[in-house]
Amino acid sequence: MKSAIFSDWAEWLPRLLDGLWVSVQVTGLSLIIGLAAGLLLALAAFARTRLLTWPAILLVEIGRGMPALVMLQLVYFGLPSVGLTLETYAAVVLALSLTTAAYTSEIIRAGLRAVPDGELEAADALGMSRGDVMRFVVIPQGLRIALPTLLGFAILIFQISSLAFSLGLPELLSQAYSIGAATFRYLDVLTLAGLLYLAVTIPAGWLVARFERRLSRHLTT
Amino acid sequence: MNQAESILSLRDVEKTFAGHCAVDGVSLDVARGEVVAVIGPSGSGKSTMLRCINLLEVPDRGTITVDGTDLDTSGTVSARDLTQLRRRVGMVFQSFNLFPHMTVLRNISLPQERVLGRSRDEADRRSMELLERVGLQQKADAYPAKCSGGQQQRVAIARALALDPEIMLFDEPTSALDPELGLEVLAVMRQLADTGMTMIVVTHEIHFAATVADRLIVMADGRILEQGPPQQVLDDPQHARTRTFLSAIKDR
Amino acid sequence: MDVLPIIVAAIPVTLGVTAASFAIGAVLGLALVAGRRSRWTVVRGLSRSVVEVLRGIPPIVLLFIIFFGIGSGALRMEPFQAAVIGLGLVSAAHLSEVYRGSLLAVPKGQFEAADALGLSRSTTSARVIAPQAFRVAMPGMVTWAISLLKDSALVSTIGVAEIMSVTNQHARSSGDGLMPFILAAAVYIAIGTPLAIWSRWLEKRFARIRKAA
Repeated sequence: MKSAIFSDWAEWLPRLLDGLWVSVQVTGLSLIIGLAAGLLLALAAFARTRLLTWPAILLVEIGRGMPALVMLQLVYFGLPSVGLTLETYAAVVLALSLTTAAYTSEIIRAGLRAVPDGELEAADALGMSRGDVMRFVVIPQGLRIALPTLLGFAILIFQISSLAFSLGLPELLSQAYSIGAATFRYLDVLTLAGLLYLAVTIPAGWLVARFERRLSRHLTT
Repeated sequence: MNQAESILSLRDVEKTFAGHCAVDGVSLDVARGEVVAVIGPSGSGKSTMLRCINLLEVPDRGTITVDGTDLDTSGTVSARDLTQLRRRVGMVFQSFNLFPHMTVLRNISLPQERVLGRSRDEADRRSMELLERVGLQQKADAYPAKCSGGQQQRVAIARALALDPEIMLFDEPTSALDPELGLEVLAVMRQLADTGMTMIVVTHEIHFAATVADRLIVMADGRILEQGPPQQVLDDPQHARTRTFLSAIKDR
Repeated sequence: MDVLPIIVAAIPVTLGVTAASFAIGAVLGLALVAGRRSRWTVVRGLSRSVVEVLRGIPPIVLLFIIFFGIGSGALRMEPFQAAVIGLGLVSAAHLSEVYRGSLLAVPKGQFEAADALGLSRSTTSARVIAPQAFRVAMPGMVTWAISLLKDSALVSTIGVAEIMSVTNQHARSSGDGLMPFILAAAVYIAIGTPLAIWSRWLEKRFARIRKAA
């Protein structure tokens, strides 16, 4: 019986790994696009003019306030009614990028705010321009402060990518579910899929924690 | 003291925070090369007055004149005037405020490159010169976290000096330091005073005030209570408040 | 717009899933954090592994394992039951982390002072540590409640008729894929925003108390 399970697992594994690869791809793409947009939003929210601050904060709050699942459905089913029809893959990447942008901009903004006021005053007293203060003092340090949280979020968005199942993207969960539907061995194949997710998220979590400890040691001594 | 020889003058400078008058109509003339020490109980407005001079706090009222250039602070100050002012007035903070993600050398060179437009080589050369002057050339490639507080403060002094200011402001530069680390900072400041730099020093170091300053100012409640040659003020204070304050620090 | 009443009618289901999962998580989370502070290494290691697995697996995968995996075999389950069990387990792991962090925030001196006064272990926990830790934990718990509210949308995939599920059905039947989802998003934001404001207020109040102390 036991060996039967393992032979089944071996038979399913290639398909599941294909799915995992899709999950990793959409996660990576969404992170690249979303982080860039998140940084821009954070800078806008950090700006001195309310004209930039308010729309940026509003967008971020909307993006963070709605479930990622709603974002996915909205992009996939909603955008066609305004004339923009996307393939599943592109829709998933766009939706996850939007979610990433909203969350990471908040994380980055917190990092930028954590740069001590005294350093900003010193830069002011040295006559540095606002742009220079951002470029040389605030952004490099703010991003470094935000980095561990951003990495933690990267793990989260990998988990969230499983929601793309609802749009039929052949990622890990979709593959597992369709094997389950074909074999009625839901428990076995879903457990295997769960283990594959864990094989990514748990070691990644350890690495982030270790990295965070190392970073805080470097900054405090 | 007549206007012609003063490098800095404040006229009726006033600053209010949430209904509390931190600086209440202060006027002050400082001569080129003069070293002025400012003492007073905490909350007396001495730091706020200092921060008004380089407009880290913009006064609600009053005029600030640096070397003949007037700044009327009741209107808005243009970015150009502000940069001009800050190039000529250097400032050293109680908490050093070095940039922790840059080496000591970069801390000193970056403002020169960005504010004065010096080339990297030029800036680094000047930085090394100043580091030598404060006795820290061996720390050029270290990060601030690897320097003691006294060393960080000396780097901060070098960073401000690198912009060739005409006036240096010191806001309680030794208050965050252990006494023996404070001494090395005071030694650098003493040396700087000897070179003829115009300095305004907010401090609790009575000995430094007595031996290095040309003039001692006592502040209370946002006003200048009394001022004069340090020995005279210390030995023969005119106000009861000055006497109470001085005995409180001397008897410690 | 005719979808709005349908969505509003489904709000109680969403709130029910959220509240029930939170309650389960709040209690099981206590057990997990107790396990992580246990004297026995085995219990500590086991509790830690449970937390890591529950936090590392995507919640929707856990829901599927419970509903389609376990529910299709040995144990027949209603979608609502499976939803609350799944999200309750996820909540337990996250809340145990919130509890753990808040316990770490109680100064060591408090334990030492209680020891020095000769208070028993249980008195120390119940009367000295827990009240302080709870205050620290509050903002984190509310923040988790907001996440949970949004995660509750997942249970539409196993057929619980909450906001997301009725929205999806309406979008499919009416052919309008835009308005229903915008309204659903607005409803989630409308419920979540007061919670977010409350959490921020708690955090600020705590920061003030800590500063004053």
